[in-house]
Amino acid sequence: MTPERMAELVAGWVRLYTRDLPASVAQRRVEEIDADLHDHIAHERARGISERRIARGIASRMVRGLAADAAWRGHQAKVAARPSTREETMNVSKAVYRSAARVAVGVALLLTVPLVVTLLSDGEAWSLWDFVTAGVFLAAIGVVIELAVKRVGNVALAIGIAVVGVLAGVAGEADDAPGLVLLGIVLIVSACALGVRARTRPARHSQ
Amino acid sequence: MRRKPGTLLPLETEILEVAQSLVRAGHATFHGFGLAQTMRDENGSRSLTSHGTLYKALGRLEELGLLTSRWENPAVEGRPRRRLYALTGEGARVAEARAGKAVAPLSPLTSEPA
Repeated sequence: MTPERMAELVAGWVRLYTRDLPASVAQRRVEEIDADLHDHIAHERARGISERRIARGIASRMVRGLAADAAWRGHQAKVAARPSTREETMNVSKAVYRSAARVAVGVALLLTVPLVVTLLSDGEAWSLWDFVTAGVFLAAIGVVIELAVKRVGNVALAIGIAVVGVLAGVAGEADDAPGLVLLGIVLIVSACALGVRARTRPARHSQ
Repeated sequence: MRRKPGTLLPLETEILEVAQSLVRAGHATFHGFGLAQTMRDENGSRSLTSHGTLYKALGRLEELGLLTSRWENPAVEGRPRRRLYALTGEGARVAEARAGKAVAPLSPLTSEPA
């Protein structure tokens, strides 16, 4: 393989791992490696190094740097996802507070139903523990819905929530509590929705 | 594995030291391949530092304020423009401090990086 062909392969790899990064960051890395490859080939040819050895040297530099490339990409993606201005940070904080308020109000409204039934009927009454358990699961469902709507969160979080849903279902089945089973099912479905939404999250091109 | 904030890897220290020796030799700026080539010659190594490792280290040194960079201007016809790096005052201070601690100082440059 010629050095130029190997340089094209390296350039292709650079374009691949800079994909979806902010344009200015990706462009800088692509151009910098292009210049490096050009200088590498020119310098080694001037030293009388064989074509095959130059190509091998370029391939070696690429392969030895794969882990660093991946780490660099991860770092850049993290930086790009961070709020860049004080105003953006404030907006994120406000959005979090609003989400938390929506979840809290929703859970409180839903729990008023069993509370009223407990207070007014002589039949089955919910204990404090029942309210706490239902509140926690309902809040979890609310958080998942908020995350899914905003397309934040990630697949690992979705899996974690699905596991909680399964545990709720199993506990409900063991205690003969169909409500708990239902909450478990809703948690699992919500987790699936979150996973799908997180995977289809659009790339951010802010810079 | 995470490293402590502000700590430098051996490669990053080496880059600063080489950059300092380049400044002493009259080269205020350097570029990626030139740096890799100089380090290879200095170390007597057969291979050049990998792309990923080299440019990640340069980026980190820039983030730490020890290097600055800009595009070559005007670009030279017939080859892609280079990103030119230069030591900052803080970078020079760190390089001096590291060189003072080194057991064996760097040997004089044997080739020009550009």
